[in-house]
Amino acid sequence: METSKLVPFFQEKLCLFHLRSRKKMSVLQEMVRHLAEQKLISDGHFIMEMLKNRESLGSTGLGNGVAFPHGRSLAIKKLIVLFARSAGGIDFDSLDGKPTKIFFLILAPSDKGAEVYLALLSQLIGLVQKPAELKKLTEVTDYKSLIELLGG
Amino acid sequence: MPLKEAHRLLIALQDLDIMIKEAKDKSTSKELESLGFKLTGLEELQDARSKLAKKISPTVLQRYKKLTGRYTMAILPVTGDLCLGCFVKLPTSFFSSINRDLLQTCENCGRLLYIP
Repeated sequence: METSKLVPFFQEKLCLFHLRSRKKMSVLQEMVRHLAEQKLISDGHFIMEMLKNRESLGSTGLGNGVAFPHGRSLAIKKLIVLFARSAGGIDFDSLDGKPTKIFFLILAPSDKGAEVYLALLSQLIGLVQKPAELKKLTEVTDYKSLIELLGG
Repeated sequence: MPLKEAHRLLIALQDLDIMIKEAKDKSTSKELESLGFKLTGLEELQDARSKLAKKISPTVLQRYKKLTGRYTMAILPVTGDLCLGCFVKLPTSFFSSINRDLLQTCENCGRLLYIP
């Protein structure tokens, strides 16, 4: 997947450039609540439980200030990607212990194979492994700049 | 509309089973680990599964267990008037107001079905 192919996954209404929450669970809650407000999920509590279970398997905070909370459920009808940013950073139990500033929440239907979101995860992780791109991502505050960064 | 309690418990159980299966699956777990994820909490996930299973009636759980032995997905939503598992058309009675909210079974493949 080329970087430019990431662009269609990101919608302006699913970008939160100024997260208000300061704790791991409340960040997840804020993102899930936003999806419910956008009518992309019908049962936020259900999705929260699924994400909590995924975090108990191992933190999705991969370090370098980035986390990829993700999960698959029958309650998800189509692939959803939400971008969120916290200027100050949040303790997300990341592998390097550093605060997390960038979040890519990925939700996928469970009746499709895991490869759907694994390919996307792989591409996004590749992007944030580039120090210059990562720095820009932590500073991005509008959709246009985000899309440019993603190769649009 | 939020999911009905009986449906949501079974869907959550199935989601957890898929997550556990993926974490145990060598190919998927290897791929996730190569991306940087550490899958060290399998035991916690299995505990969560046990707690959840206790909330489901033994009869339904037994049916679910039997179905997961045969299919990847034991419970599925209905799309249009079809069972998404075997794509057989469901009878009109399936959609009657009496049956709408119940956990129903596909007469062809036996999967558990719900109307989302």
